[in-house]
Amino acid sequence: MRLHEHEAARLFQQAGIPVPPFAVVRTADEAVAALERVQLPIVIKAQVLVGSRGKHGGIAVAETPEEVREKARTLLRSSVRGLRVESVMVARKVSIGRELYVGATIDPAAGAITVILGVVGGIDVEMIAHERPEALFRLTVVPPDELRGYQARGLAREAGFRGDLMVKIADVLVSLFRVFRKTDALIAEVNPLVVTADEALWAVDAVLDVDDSALFRHPELPGDSLARMEHPLERAAKQIGVSYVDLNGDIAIISSGAGLGMATMDVVGQRLRPANFLETGGGITEELMYKVTQLVLEKPGVRGLLINLYGGINPIHEGAKGVVRVLREKQVKIPVVAKALGNRQEETWATLSEAGVTVVTDITTEAAVEALCARLIGEKA
Amino acid sequence: MSILLNKNTRVLVQGITGRIGRAQTKWMLEYGTRIVAGVTPGKGGERVEGVPVFDSVLEAVRETGAEASVFFVPARGVKDTVFETLEAGIRLVVVVTEHVPVHDTMEMKAEAKKVGATLLGPTTPGILTVGEAKMGIIPGNLFPKTSGPAGVISRSGTLSYEVGGILAKAGIAPSTVVGMGADPVVLTDLPELLRFFAADPQTRLVAIVGEVGGVQEELAAEYIAREFRKPVVAYVAGRNTPEGKRMGHAGAIVQRGMGSVESKVAALEKAGVAIARTPAEIGTIAPRLLGG
Repeated sequence: MRLHEHEAARLFQQAGIPVPPFAVVRTADEAVAALERVQLPIVIKAQVLVGSRGKHGGIAVAETPEEVREKARTLLRSSVRGLRVESVMVARKVSIGRELYVGATIDPAAGAITVILGVVGGIDVEMIAHERPEALFRLTVVPPDELRGYQARGLAREAGFRGDLMVKIADVLVSLFRVFRKTDALIAEVNPLVVTADEALWAVDAVLDVDDSALFRHPELPGDSLARMEHPLERAAKQIGVSYVDLNGDIAIISSGAGLGMATMDVVGQRLRPANFLETGGGITEELMYKVTQLVLEKPGVRGLLINLYGGINPIHEGAKGVVRVLREKQVKIPVVAKALGNRQEETWATLSEAGVTVVTDITTEAAVEALCARLIGEKA
Repeated sequence: MSILLNKNTRVLVQGITGRIGRAQTKWMLEYGTRIVAGVTPGKGGERVEGVPVFDSVLEAVRETGAEASVFFVPARGVKDTVFETLEAGIRLVVVVTEHVPVHDTMEMKAEAKKVGATLLGPTTPGILTVGEAKMGIIPGNLFPKTSGPAGVISRSGTLSYEVGGILAKAGIAPSTVVGMGADPVVLTDLPELLRFFAADPQTRLVAIVGEVGGVQEELAAEYIAREFRKPVVAYVAGRNTPEGKRMGHAGAIVQRGMGSVESKVAALEKAGVAIARTPAEIGTIAPRLLGG
């Protein structure tokens, strides 16, 4: 779950990272009222969960109360990269001497945490990595080990910093690492970390992406991960307990595993266009398949459904009953092809066939796509 | 021959008294797996499918000589249970559980490395040695009765079943099928699993079933180019995955310019691996690799 900037900024601040004074507001009046706590000049930033807000009109600078009112109002009526702006963060503008990058992330190759200090900042870290790899300094920490102060100072020294500034940067790194560990984060970063002319540090942006699998032990984090999903079908799927990704085509797909779902997408994509990716995971029941079948058919313009299941941990014979219930209740007319193999496959096939589903018993997904194409051509003729 | 697991391996089932633990214990026993004990704290003294249940791993190991363990333990209990299992001396652990926090996985991986244990998962279907034994949820009836020359390593469960079946249909039975897990951090990396197959005389070819996200395929490519001498065929699932979207598995995400099918395929091809564009193509490529 990606946190809003102001949520991450609050956590960073509590951990001791210097964050310029800020407030979060939902109206232009509130923005002006916030000037009692946040001194001019200020930066007004749209609180939407996408990157590159600056480039897409999501950040404005205001130097007078009138400007604050006008710019806050404009931002609060706008959308940034397709997302409606419902709140803005009003933050004290700091004078920029120099911009750095600090971050912590999971290194999948090491199976450990990488702490990164960049001597340039303010642009995407991928871009820095691509264009100026020598500007990034990294340190790997293997949990449960912590990032120690001396290690952080070593990294800052290696990046060329000396004196007080080296110590202050190291302090930020240690604090950021603590937040990263404490919140079960996947990414924590400050970009840019601003160095002012008098060598004060300010975190003027805050990014924190936490592990959904660990949310159960974080009652202190926002509890609305579901509401943060933008796509209505993706949100509905999450509610049911499956994953759905919307794609551009018109062939609905249900699969009982992520890898199988991606492979189905690949194979369907050779001849037809997938409408979605959906995988049930290991929790198939009659009810679950009833709900997901309805869900994928909700998308307008879907003209075929391909079901690809394996009965390992999943009772596919139960799932088949759910599919069939939808087909009967909704009188579904589009072609439905199913490949379902594994434990109790014969029962599964019988249930599906009776309801007019084309059952494919071959092991390859190609065979199922072939059958679907044949049905689609049959429909046209 | 096989890797990691055979019909003599004394297997422990953790979380054996749960709904899934019970059902899977039955399937594993039916396949021929030598299950000697189960553990569920608080349920010591019970029996599941005739298998004695203990309160702790240490007890189970002392009483039955269990030497490998498969987990049907809830995600929040996995880290604790892994530490218990390793302390009791078990050195092969299969973590079937999904949604294990990544920070826990990193700690478990470090501990496994320290004590020299092989841990598979999390989010793995497990391991199946054809005709002998299985730990996890891979359905046995999808594979031939007798084993053959193909090692299979997969990030995905269901897709490993499909590939196993495709190979069998092409007349090439698998030796051992290993699910390496589908999380952003896996407990045993792909090159280490290849190393086991390198040492197995029965395995003459390896099929890798990868997917978008992470760097396992890239790590494997480096290792293969350096020292792996058996032919390898690979399929990487998830072309046309939209950037920033998790495709079901926690680790299946193209993010920050990393983890695309293109980058994995390029790395594997450079290492001399034959690339299948769909799972079914493995069935045509594998016989060619063995025949040549």
